[in-house]
Amino acid sequence: MPAEPIVRVNQVHKNFRRGSEQIDVLKGLSLAVHQGEFLALMGPSGSGKTTLLNLIAGLDQPSEGSVWVGDQQISRMSEGQLARWRTRNIGFVFQFYHLLPVLTAYENVELPLLLLPLSAKERRQQVMVALEAVSLADRIGHRPGQLSGGQQQRVGIARAIVTDPTLIVADEPTGDLDSKSAHEILSLLQELCKELDKTIIMVTHDPKAAERAQRTLHLDKGMLVSETQAMPEDAIR
Amino acid sequence: MQFFYPLHRMILALPKHPEYRLYLAAGLVALAFLLLALVLAFRKYFTFIFKSLFRNKLRTLLSSAAIFSLVMVVTLIWSVLMFLDIVMEDKSTDLKAIVTERWQIPSQMPISYGAALESGAPHPDDPHAVKPTDSMTWQFYGGTTEPDPAKRNLENIIFFFAMDPHKIKPMMDDLEGLDERMIEAMVQKKAGVLIGRDRAKSLNKRVGERFVLQGLNYPDMKLEFEVVGILPEGRYDQSAIMNRDYLNDTLDAWPRLHNGQKHSMADKSLNLVWLRVADKPSYEKLADQIVTSSLFTAPAVKCETASSGIASFLDSYKDILQGMKWLLVPAILITMSLVIANAISISVRERRTEMAVLKVLGYGPGRIQAFVLGEALLIGICSGLASAALAYFVITVWLGGFKFPIAFFPSFEVFADALWWGPLVGGLASLAGSFFPALSARRVKVSEVFSKIG
Repeated sequence: MPAEPIVRVNQVHKNFRRGSEQIDVLKGLSLAVHQGEFLALMGPSGSGKTTLLNLIAGLDQPSEGSVWVGDQQISRMSEGQLARWRTRNIGFVFQFYHLLPVLTAYENVELPLLLLPLSAKERRQQVMVALEAVSLADRIGHRPGQLSGGQQQRVGIARAIVTDPTLIVADEPTGDLDSKSAHEILSLLQELCKELDKTIIMVTHDPKAAERAQRTLHLDKGMLVSETQAMPEDAIR
Repeated sequence: MQFFYPLHRMILALPKHPEYRLYLAAGLVALAFLLLALVLAFRKYFTFIFKSLFRNKLRTLLSSAAIFSLVMVVTLIWSVLMFLDIVMEDKSTDLKAIVTERWQIPSQMPISYGAALESGAPHPDDPHAVKPTDSMTWQFYGGTTEPDPAKRNLENIIFFFAMDPHKIKPMMDDLEGLDERMIEAMVQKKAGVLIGRDRAKSLNKRVGERFVLQGLNYPDMKLEFEVVGILPEGRYDQSAIMNRDYLNDTLDAWPRLHNGQKHSMADKSLNLVWLRVADKPSYEKLADQIVTSSLFTAPAVKCETASSGIASFLDSYKDILQGMKWLLVPAILITMSLVIANAISISVRERRTEMAVLKVLGYGPGRIQAFVLGEALLIGICSGLASAALAYFVITVWLGGFKFPIAFFPSFEVFADALWWGPLVGGLASLAGSFFPALSARRVKVSEVFSKIG
């Protein structure tokens, strides 16, 4: 693995105000993620793992500290800059898929590409590549309501990878799936990491899901408490 | 220039009003630019915006129906107001002046005024005196076929324009193409009359049939008539025309049959005199001649153009018309905007997660705001166009105008301009209504939408 991490989180603090009360969600947390790494974030409810994921994905800003993705300090970007940055650099996979119900699978996957200066033909090519990668090329005309949970999540993953982003972040991607579908999704994520050298950061409550990652970080009360490396036979590489 | 001058009339008036070219050109360029900008900005996202309308079909349908009906009401009101603006607009050439009694409505001038007025009442010493190029007198005779006063109603009452039959074609609007044989029949038979088709139907009379009328405004005067023709369909459907000689001969013969007593209306039978002049300066000179003439002092007369005459007639309705223009129409537009605002607000609230997902995918606040505005605009433009198009094709093309007989007006029609102001009004009202909901959509915070204990 290259020496320079692709994601660097330096002493970030994140607090929220609830009325007059200040809630510290992250307390001076630092971590680094390398290119092509599959990282899992685990911890009890309220540990700050989703908040950390949001900071890395550029969906929120830290109260203190810095977040770097590649050579860009995203913690200093404006909302508009972050939106443009996310299009090319982040692929987000949601727990509940969050596909647009009025659009077909094809149109859902195409959504991020509409922001890029691509012709319709180029967009079609990229969408089909992404759908083929998740084995759903035969469902392009189906709307989410016509797909199973697993299929919807695969469309979600296709949408996440269609722009060839630097980083894929997944917030409990198997949380709403049965075990068989969950297994398929996790295998797909592993494959993306292995075959396409994608960097994946996944938040999960499920230890079995975490086992698929190369490294698991455990958070508690906004701090990093431990780190687990995958066993060699479980390792991707 | 009137702001909402009907487009097709503006185009027809171009040779006389070259300055309209600038307004037309500017308007067309602005419209083309706007459409081009919209298409370029939204062509990639059109599918998304269009399909989003089907998220809640019932809500979209109800919003569209609201815009549809409100644009329909605005279209009808503006059509009436625009029509009245046109009829009250002064022409600059080929004017028709109306001479009526100055201090009384209806006018009741002596028949002797007729000849003097038709000559223009020139001062003998004035070498520049103006004479009308044509003229027409109107006397009104109203009667009923029902002898029992208790049974008289609008169905058995008829009012005639008593006039010279030879003046019907040159002086009466929309009767230029009248069959000459009908005119001849009226001249040959003084009791011959032309009746509008609706009036003939209500009296149940056909060409060749005779009927007797009891005079209403000419008390005790019973006249027998024969239908010699039916007036063309249009503004005269409820009207009728008789030969003035028949009325005047009856008035002249009245003393012989009534112990030397003149009829009570003998010296009050002339109601209106129309005078045609070449242009505005001629009209002003003619009006001055008539008003200052010593021939018309008892009663005094006034001379005005047809448009100002109509304006005077409508003066009593001025408050209602102003109210419609400045209160009712804005109220309707505001209501439209509020209906859309309500529907779009609910939609945005329901779709907060969707907005947040779009933000995650990289759509900035401005784009998300534009999507919401785009949806509202699409509903407004489509519904507005459908409404205005329906009004135009049904009322103007199919029905030939809706009959609204006031003061000899023809049917009111919806102008072709409705086809552009309908979508414009619908679109702008929708845009206005969606402004704040779109602002709310723009401000959706991703971290708040997806916040959970984690």
